[in-house]
Amino acid sequence: MALTVTPDTFDFVAFDTAYTTRIAEHMATQLGLDDIDILIAINENSALTRIEVEATASLITITPHSGAMEDTRRPQQQSELNTTITMARGMLRARDRLRGGFAEAPADTELSLPQAAIWDTYIMGRIAHMDIKLNKQAWVYNFRNRHGFSDAVDAVFEKVWNTANTTWAELSALSANTLSVTA
Amino acid sequence: MKKFMPVEELARDERFNQITQADRMADGRVALIADSEKSRRSNRLTPARADASEAARALMHGIFVGEIQALEGAGRTCWDFTTGEEAPFELKLDMARQAWDEARHVEISLKLSDWMGSEIGQYAENTVLFQAACSNDPVLRLAGVNRALEGLAIDVFTTMKEFGELAGDPYLEFCEDWMLADEVTHVKMGSDWLRKITENDPERRKKALEFQGIVDKMFSYGGSRSDSEESAFAIARRFRELAGFTEDENDHIAELGMQALNERKAQLREKQPAAAN
Repeated sequence: MALTVTPDTFDFVAFDTAYTTRIAEHMATQLGLDDIDILIAINENSALTRIEVEATASLITITPHSGAMEDTRRPQQQSELNTTITMARGMLRARDRLRGGFAEAPADTELSLPQAAIWDTYIMGRIAHMDIKLNKQAWVYNFRNRHGFSDAVDAVFEKVWNTANTTWAELSALSANTLSVTA
Repeated sequence: MKKFMPVEELARDERFNQITQADRMADGRVALIADSEKSRRSNRLTPARADASEAARALMHGIFVGEIQALEGAGRTCWDFTTGEEAPFELKLDMARQAWDEARHVEISLKLSDWMGSEIGQYAENTVLFQAACSNDPVLRLAGVNRALEGLAIDVFTTMKEFGELAGDPYLEFCEDWMLADEVTHVKMGSDWLRKITENDPERRKKALEFQGIVDKMFSYGGSRSDSEESAFAIARRFRELAGFTEDENDHIAELGMQALNERKAQLREKQPAAAN
């Protein structure tokens, strides 16, 4: 199946399409997504770190804003690590929706901030367990910002971070329950 | 020891990568949120932003390197000028006290960065703050550093304190509140010394205030500070008043912020279609 990265050339950032394609192909194989078409449409106009994902049975479209693939130490330069993490995040989200018990999850734009945070935690935990280097504390902080600053919230974070397999129903219920306990 | 050290000679280890304000402004990408986007009409740094944690982390790193540069600036003012002839001993004493405060702020910001999940040097260091501290007239340094730079710190710390309060982050709120109190004192020092030293020299005072205006505009960072919701942080008027800014001065800074925001938007409008063609 085909994996396409756009655009071919960049005006605002020093990114490399062929390099991005290699990273994305490697990640798709690793995540078992080499049997579906994937389009990576990089939004180089935006410096935000946002990643938009759309998944249908025949095509996964991932639209990372350039900030998500950038080397924050050297603005506008591409980071191999951040590109890898961004591809993994986008693909895991799509795989969850298509094959992972997340079919009934709201569209990304309709997720509440706590729902988005708990799903991100589940995704980033699996990435960390793939031995990809990331700063766990950054995700602890994100989870706390959305669910509260307490030991009970941290315990939920640990549980989700170390979960290999769950569903949207379980995850959203856990988020709602955590919010009700900390309220 | 060398006097009047240029910004290029700031000592940093390999973890840091420095960029200038010109580098930053040359980036033609949009970091502002489009007005039409349903979910995020405001760029204010609040927990309601979807990217709040990341944005707060990046700002905290900016505060961390800003504190290092403020420490270096205050320290240089103690050293660069001859006591008595160029700068009164009491002024240097205030700058020494400020250097001590800034050193503490560096440590606090570092701890907060750990807490928020970032590492030293994770983001590029913009050296614009120290550039404002390189003037060879101590009065211009007071205007540029103590009034403009530390005034910016009041706005930023107020934003971060409110962020911590809204998110329920007890450490962030507490630490920013304490640092904010110091910043108000630093601005007040600048305001008092500026008035005192230029008491009988209106031309020098005028020059210093003009320089402050230039630095204030630079510190508006392409519109990241203004009364508009499109800016990441607002003018903290109440704390600025406590630090000696008049209402007119605060209005002027707000106006500079709006100008910088509109100029940046116009600049981006030019760059983005040009790239698309």
